[in-house]
Amino acid sequence: MSENNVEKKVADRYLKREILGEGTYGVVYKAIDTTTGQTVAIKKIRLGKQKEGVNFTALREIKLLKEVKDPNIIELIDAFPHKGNLHLVFEFMETDLEAVIRDPNIFLSPGDIKSYFQMTLKGLAVCHKKWVLHRDMKPNNLLIGSNGQLKLADFGLARIFGSPGRKFTHQVFARWYRAPELLFGAKLYGAGVDVWAAGCIFAELLNRRPFLQVLHFCDCLQNLNSIQCLTSVLRLTLELEVKGANSNNDQGGDSDIDQLGKIFQKLGTPTLSQWPDLEWLPDFVEYSSQTAQPWRKLCPTASDDALDLLSKMFTYDPKSRISVQQALEHRYFTSVPLPTDPAKLPRPAPKRESHNPRTSDLHEGPTVLSPKRKARRVMPDREVFDGNAFQVDKIDQQGGEIRWAAGDNTSKNEQVPMSVDFSIFGAKPMSRPTINR
Amino acid sequence: MAANFWNSSHYKQLFDQEEVDVVHPLDKDKGITLEDFKLIKMHMVIPICKLAQQVKVRQRVVATAVTYMRRLYTRKSMSEYDPRLVAPTCLYLASKAEESTVQARLLVYCIKKMYSDDKYRYEIKDILEMEMKILEALNYYLVVFHPYRSLPQFLQDAGMNDISMTQLTWGLVNDTYRMDLILIHPPHLIALACIYTASVYREKDKTAWFEELRVDMNVVKNIAMEILDFYESHRLITDERINTAFNKLKP
Repeated sequence: MSENNVEKKVADRYLKREILGEGTYGVVYKAIDTTTGQTVAIKKIRLGKQKEGVNFTALREIKLLKEVKDPNIIELIDAFPHKGNLHLVFEFMETDLEAVIRDPNIFLSPGDIKSYFQMTLKGLAVCHKKWVLHRDMKPNNLLIGSNGQLKLADFGLARIFGSPGRKFTHQVFARWYRAPELLFGAKLYGAGVDVWAAGCIFAELLNRRPFLQVLHFCDCLQNLNSIQCLTSVLRLTLELEVKGANSNNDQGGDSDIDQLGKIFQKLGTPTLSQWPDLEWLPDFVEYSSQTAQPWRKLCPTASDDALDLLSKMFTYDPKSRISVQQALEHRYFTSVPLPTDPAKLPRPAPKRESHNPRTSDLHEGPTVLSPKRKARRVMPDREVFDGNAFQVDKIDQQGGEIRWAAGDNTSKNEQVPMSVDFSIFGAKPMSRPTINR
Repeated sequence: MAANFWNSSHYKQLFDQEEVDVVHPLDKDKGITLEDFKLIKMHMVIPICKLAQQVKVRQRVVATAVTYMRRLYTRKSMSEYDPRLVAPTCLYLASKAEESTVQARLLVYCIKKMYSDDKYRYEIKDILEMEMKILEALNYYLVVFHPYRSLPQFLQDAGMNDISMTQLTWGLVNDTYRMDLILIHPPHLIALACIYTASVYREKDKTAWFEELRVDMNVVKNIAMEILDFYESHRLITDERINTAFNKLKP
């Protein structure tokens, strides 16, 4: 194929539309595939300034997605070079699970939660069957298509595993989803790390807030609005003062220690009988003993089956932790209520191209084309970009209003009257820690 | 790497010998014969190995690089894809795909140190451009399986996992990359063929062990024959013969 052929391809096959966001390694834009009429998302991989050719993370993603094809895993439709940059064509996904969890207008029935979580595990099971570790499981990497299908995305940290003795980095996953063996510095680990993260996602679906969330002072400030400001700041300042933690460093050992503290505070400190290999882990430190809180208290709305599955996914010893396949066979998935048909799952109301032109005219200036939330999904270091917390809140609230108005069109999104609780946890997404790439 | 070979893109992409032994029309026009074609591919393994030693990457990376190169030439011509640039670029791409990235800068530095010949003088820019072209030609399939993984398990099972046997078979596997075997046969059969060759060479009768394996011994023996043929013919290849082949590639 000659260069010319390739050059034409983007113009010939893909009609470029608006930019969806800026990722760690380039711009993502929406496009129409003229050969199929399908809407796609195109990731333009910027060639590095360091003259290192095709981005390593992008290459991993390509390599593994070419091997794994499944309804619950994002499809890499095409890849092509254009003007010296590599472009990856993915199926276009409307929203992601984080948006669902955070949307105060969405009510998730137990069947809905089951359905979303089942699809998560199905996608993960396929990865593990192919000996691929995802290593970045979190709600905003679980994309949701227009038919309600949930698909695992962002394989930029994924690796093939299973070779005996092969050492991996433990700096994977966003901190809140990091398994205890990783926090203790394990370099030989397996599928259990994904299972732990999946457990966190399950609990997050049930509770509608991150399960093992550790807030640092700067994170907190950013997520406060003026009403809550006073009391919360005071309380948090005290909490952080007491711990002597003024660290806002995501990479640092301090954060890992805080994260472990959070885990132990909820699930109890692991004992050697629970986890015999514990003391051999590289960064093992002893924690003062805490007893586990009852699961019933940690997830008050969950069924007994759900709690049983949760406890098995949060087993400390990775060797005894349930596998994804076993989790899928758990009675939780076969007991009533059955998982909701994906097409009927509640999803956030469409934000753009809304059926109500009035709302979009009213609120959307030319710059609001890419919604804040979507941009954030591909822009992990939110803090860096949004200097002013209060301004962010304003935009988010505005976005919320649009969604409210457009929400009238979708049948399942019955509006739940806003309670105080929802306004605290729902309206202002917390900035989530991610690992630096 | 333990991923499942039978579900992999590698398995789906295995070729027949006849498909591999096709000289691209553009190369044919320059007078490249099938023999020249094979000779050049065989010869290009050497710079890949040397370069790999310089930049210190695992044998796996070399094996993957050679596989990329051989796959490339089932689709593309040597006239358009100069082997002297393709070889280091394949090593560069393989180092990333196998998670032991080597800097392009280092590769170029080592190439310049190794060769005084101007034909090998490529800059970083050339390697990065070629990387993109190779990726495209490979249709972005990057996962490759190799005989190395099954080798120690087979040797242990056959009770031949002593150092000398391990070294001999490992060396044989390395040499199989001088041929197109990796494009044609599942890697575990290549491993078995190497063990078979080694056992015959060391006069160890392992017939019983092979018979117990549920594999097509005809295929294994055919691979072994090809390996022996290679060693046989390899001795007769002169530098002059290789140069003649390369000279035909000149524009």
